[in-house]
Amino acid sequence: MTRFGALAALILAAPLVLRYPTLETQILTFGLLTVAFYLLLGELGFLSFGQATFNGIGAYVTARILIDGHAPLLAALLAGTLAGALGAALIGALATRGRGVYGVMLTFAFNEMAYYIAFQWRAVTGGDNGLGNLPQPTLFGLSLDDPVRYYYFTAVLVLAAFAAVLRLIDSPFGAVVRAIRENEERARAIGFRVERFKVVSFAISGALCGLAGGLYAGVFHFVPLQSIDLDLSSNIVVAAILGGAGSPYGALLGAAVFIVLSNVLSHVWAHWPLLFGIVFCAVVLFFRGGLWSVGGYGRRAAAHP
Amino acid sequence: MSPLVELALLNGVVQGVIYALVAAGLTLIFGMLDIPNFAHGAFYALGAYVAFSVIAHTGNFWLAIVVAPIVIALLGVLVDAFAMRRLAGGGHVYAILFTLGLVLIVQEAIVLVWGADPTSVDVPAALDGGLPLGVVSFPYYRLFLALVAALVIGAVWLGLQRTKAGAIIRAGIDDAEMVACLGIDVQRLFTLVFGVGVALAALAGALILPLRGGQPAMGNELMAVSFAVVVIGGLGSFLGAVVGGIVVGLTQAAMTIVYPAASEVAIFAAMTLVILIRPYGLFGAR
Repeated sequence: MTRFGALAALILAAPLVLRYPTLETQILTFGLLTVAFYLLLGELGFLSFGQATFNGIGAYVTARILIDGHAPLLAALLAGTLAGALGAALIGALATRGRGVYGVMLTFAFNEMAYYIAFQWRAVTGGDNGLGNLPQPTLFGLSLDDPVRYYYFTAVLVLAAFAAVLRLIDSPFGAVVRAIRENEERARAIGFRVERFKVVSFAISGALCGLAGGLYAGVFHFVPLQSIDLDLSSNIVVAAILGGAGSPYGALLGAAVFIVLSNVLSHVWAHWPLLFGIVFCAVVLFFRGGLWSVGGYGRRAAAHP
Repeated sequence: MSPLVELALLNGVVQGVIYALVAAGLTLIFGMLDIPNFAHGAFYALGAYVAFSVIAHTGNFWLAIVVAPIVIALLGVLVDAFAMRRLAGGGHVYAILFTLGLVLIVQEAIVLVWGADPTSVDVPAALDGGLPLGVVSFPYYRLFLALVAALVIGAVWLGLQRTKAGAIIRAGIDDAEMVACLGIDVQRLFTLVFGVGVALAALAGALILPLRGGQPAMGNELMAVSFAVVVIGGLGSFLGAVVGGIVVGLTQAAMTIVYPAASEVAIFAAMTLVILIRPYGLFGAR
């Protein structure tokens, strides 16, 4: 837990040192997405190309409840989290019917389908204008309409979620999920209901994405259509792999590096994604542990296929 | 049948044949080489842009639809020789990730070279106009496009089934080691297959250019539909790619008559239905 303590200290001190609370909030919500991706790839061994689907569902549900229901922020976030979990369970149940590459393609295709639904269903999502005018976030009467306050609100929730993920990985549930990754047939033969474990893994991953989507909506009082875009799904994959697909800390590191670099580089050279693509290909070919393995921290060199 | 319905269904078949052409390349590369090529849409986009450049410099459309697939085939051969061989046998995850990296590179390279704005070219003069069908007419260019795509798909299939090289490739898939023992360079043949596979995507991109124009992200949209096509048809099945392509094209076209807003969603609904009934697709193995 010392490593977690260091992470918590770092996250809590960050806005005191570098005064970019909104950017730092984005790092946290994006980090939740890469950690959710890690859960599926690193633990279950399933490459999900549709994580933005659950982020978008969470964001839209949170926003609608805030706008229509005038509900408290925490209740709206909880609803968004549950909606993300539900959506992920449904898509996970369908996607895991297809083995290997089929499953990956299905998450991709369902993401595109979700995007089109969000694009066309203007009454609910605002279409490509996005969903705006969310009420000011408040917590038990305290206004969170201050970037630093909202950062700390996000930080507490993200740290709690991350602690839960670490606990889950070390739990018997996590051990079974890894057993499925290593040898699905054997896990089934032992008597585990493999399909159920897969669906629950998806639901947990989707819950984290749903929470991330809701929190992101709160930062800008706005849900852009990009929340459910395949480009976001692709960015999640890229960031998590760059950071290190063998560890949840690596996934978090990848999110931070991705957000900071994309903000810095976009001012320097408009075509920075080209560099990202090249570095990413190099990591996949030669350097699979990602950034996290640099200091010898990569316990497992990389995710298992 | 009302002429508008007829027209929509004809359009659906044409679109379907283009999907089939793209999916045939995807399924060829996966079925033969066991490579899930997530950059297939990127090669499609690059094919369209190379064709655009050829037309811009020479004004010759016919040259463009020959040059674009060749250029992309050569690029595919390089990618396969330098990267995909290295990834072979290491599981699908890293091959998917590497081709995802290619998508990022290609998409941004297109913006860098050709700009972010959409491009367009005219339909070649010889194919201007349309076939009269009562009160409406069906554009000659679309008929030409469907014909070329169908002929190329047929030629690739015949090449695999009826030629010596095709026989060696099929033998190489079953037992690469045995074929290598017979003194045949299997890797070189596999690299050739990769080149041919992405050339099919490039040809589709070049053919679609006069109809839809080009834009840097054009490959991404197509990729999702192509996945639906191969899931419906069965990944690795050539026949499945063709049938899946037509099914998706017709589904899309039928929905544009009934409820246009859901025409894209309908594709994925059809895919979901197939997944529930036949997880390996209509013509997939196992």
